[in-house]
Amino acid sequence: MSVVTEVSPDGQKLTISIRGRFDFAKHQEFRESYEDKELSAVVVDLKDATYLDSSALGMLLLLRDHAGGDDSDIRVVNSSSDVKKILAISNFDKLFDIS
Amino acid sequence: MTNVQPLEPLTILIAEDSAADRMLLSSIVRRQGHEVLTAANGAEAVEAFRLQRPQLVLMDAMMPVMDGFEAARQIKALAGETLVPIIFLTSLTESEALARCLEAGGDDFLAKPYNQVILAAKIKAMDRLRRLQATVLEQRDQIARHHDYLLNEQRVAKAVFDKVAHSGCLNAPNIRYLQSPYALFNGDLLLAAFTPAGDMHVLLGDFTGHGLPAAVGAMPLAEVFYGMTAKGYGLSETLREMNAKLKRILPVDMFCCATLLCLSFQRRSVEVWNGGMPDGYLHSIASGERTPLTARHLPLGVLSPQTFDDRTEVFPMAVGDRVFLLSDGVIDTCDANEQLFGVERLQRVFAANRRPDQLFEEIEQALRDFRGEARDDVSMVEVSLLEAAQLSPPALVYSDSGQSCPLDWSVSFEFRAATLKRFNPLPYLLQLLLEVHGLRAQSGALYSVLAELYSNALEHGVLGLDSSLKRDASGFARYYQQRNARLDELQDGYVRVHLQVAPKGEGGCLTIRVEDSGKGFDVDRVMARPLDGARLSGRGVSLIRQLSRNANWSDDGRSARVEFFWEALA
Amino acid sequence: MADTHLDRDVLSALQEVMEDEYSTLLDTFLADSTERLSQLHKADDAETLGATAHSFKGSCSNMGAIRLAELCNQLEQRSKQKSLEGIEKLISEIDSEFAIIRPLYEEERQRSLADSATVRRF
Repeated sequence: MSVVTEVSPDGQKLTISIRGRFDFAKHQEFRESYEDKELSAVVVDLKDATYLDSSALGMLLLLRDHAGGDDSDIRVVNSSSDVKKILAISNFDKLFDIS
Repeated sequence: MTNVQPLEPLTILIAEDSAADRMLLSSIVRRQGHEVLTAANGAEAVEAFRLQRPQLVLMDAMMPVMDGFEAARQIKALAGETLVPIIFLTSLTESEALARCLEAGGDDFLAKPYNQVILAAKIKAMDRLRRLQATVLEQRDQIARHHDYLLNEQRVAKAVFDKVAHSGCLNAPNIRYLQSPYALFNGDLLLAAFTPAGDMHVLLGDFTGHGLPAAVGAMPLAEVFYGMTAKGYGLSETLREMNAKLKRILPVDMFCCATLLCLSFQRRSVEVWNGGMPDGYLHSIASGERTPLTARHLPLGVLSPQTFDDRTEVFPMAVGDRVFLLSDGVIDTCDANEQLFGVERLQRVFAANRRPDQLFEEIEQALRDFRGEARDDVSMVEVSLLEAAQLSPPALVYSDSGQSCPLDWSVSFEFRAATLKRFNPLPYLLQLLLEVHGLRAQSGALYSVLAELYSNALEHGVLGLDSSLKRDASGFARYYQQRNARLDELQDGYVRVHLQVAPKGEGGCLTIRVEDSGKGFDVDRVMARPLDGARLSGRGVSLIRQLSRNANWSDDGRSARVEFFWEALA
Repeated sequence: MADTHLDRDVLSALQEVMEDEYSTLLDTFLADSTERLSQLHKADDAETLGATAHSFKGSCSNMGAIRLAELCNQLEQRSKQKSLEGIEKLISEIDSEFAIIRPLYEEERQRSLADSATVRRF
């Protein structure tokens, strides 16, 4: 599975891990990983993500919208330097906590 | 022996030279529910196939006139891409002979003496294969048809898109551009238009996705761009409107990365807003330096109007300087080893470039040498600052006859702090004035003067900014930072605008007075300065004096007054 | 070498398949076989001999003429060898075998016609 989800024991935090290319092919899997859940804090782990394109950015926006928009709490962690660069150019650090 | 009924009766051709065997096999096959055609030799078999197109063939290997192998080859050729299974009837046991059957196009064997059960099973199996092939072909054709529809839809979209994207002034002499499409058309949006003052707005945009979905968002965006630019709105207002529109109409996961420029030939500056696009570059011809224009904003269509950031950066430009923008298709071009062309290679091309006019060709050559495959639409645009006189903005087109226009009137506005922060009155004032038919021919000068008077009143008057800051490039940046900061904090102050139109002789006269609540300036000293073309600041006053009549300042510089005249119209 | 000249099980299976056409099938086989035998005699090269033997073998096996089929097979194999020595003997064995089974088929043919006539009476 290239999109792996994990809920913390207290049910408050959802961690979504992406493996391989984060692109349009993962669209459905990504959405299904969160859409039936009540979200408070979400962590998107990109440790094993090799590549990120504009459709991945769109998917992050959908997640953010689902998680409360401006009130959401989403962290994007373990980004490689390439991924960080893409997120920086698109200024997504203004919307997400990126590390 | 039991009868095994198949799912569907077939027409089966039996080619067998022995009459008794032929008769026997026909009966067996008929009993299994099929229609039977017979042939006594290979030639008859081919002819029977050509005329009647049976779905399956039982073929004796050894026949006179034409043997089974040759007949099988010819029947397979006639069948083309349809699968007509051929079952060889043979008492051949040597594997070499069996191999011949396969080579000739045979799909299976039936040994003599004929076993009904085995025959029925083989017919069923072959029929399954036959139907599978038929389904594959049908689906292939369906896919091909569907593909054609899609291609046609894209063609239509391209036609509309081209009209939208290429109206405007992309063909102005100071613009060079290159767009090469990844698919049928390049979904990057490249727009350019003149403002009434003669400034130029340029937009390079890249929607998420390419092709059709990208084109869909482009139309409303272009509409806003052209409409507002023509009315004299500045970059910030246009950006706010474009962002709001896209946010409203696009799905959450769609957005548009964009770089917007406002090039002012009169003020010798470029105003920049970059949301999510790769670095643009401002190339100074004199120093050779390239200043990166980095994305400081989120793409359009992401933030709500309340949180959208419309702040721009302003840089000075000399005549001949260029701004170079590119979409990420250039950088993302990647070669066989998944290596990206990347920013470093681009920088190397920049560094090696000796003749600025060759830059495009050199980049294209570098991309070709890289032997990369574009993964996205590739767009590049280069906008140069020319002398204002070298450009001829198209005349504004009016839709009314001008028969009922106001000839004798006046109006006064007072814009106070809260308004000054968020509202640009210039487009409205211009629209109002253009109701006067006689002023239309001077709309460019009118707008430039109004804009200059207003910005002087606001920036030097109300905000108290020192124009001498704009001496050099870093001072420029500081000036505009201060401007934004002071505007944000503004609590008091006003700019008053008085307009008066009165008949004069056969034509008329427009008087504009602009007053501000600031400290004023030493009018005599400023008037005494010689007109200096190379200086970055202080051009405003001379501009006003050049474009209007009887410009004069009073009340210690807090009040400016200019006039415009027109003759009778033919 | 099979002892059985005619496999009765094959015949009854044939009758079941052919129904009313059974006797016609037997007629056709007998006529066919006569023709093939004369071809065998007329054949002047090993290839024609082999092909005819092969073809005849197939029909015989379908019609239950076990021994005849076996003889044809032997003839087919022999005709592939360099020397055609003793082949005349084999061909005459085939003649003899056919002479034995021919009346058997005719008998079978008569029986089937009588049977169907009986049936029709009712």
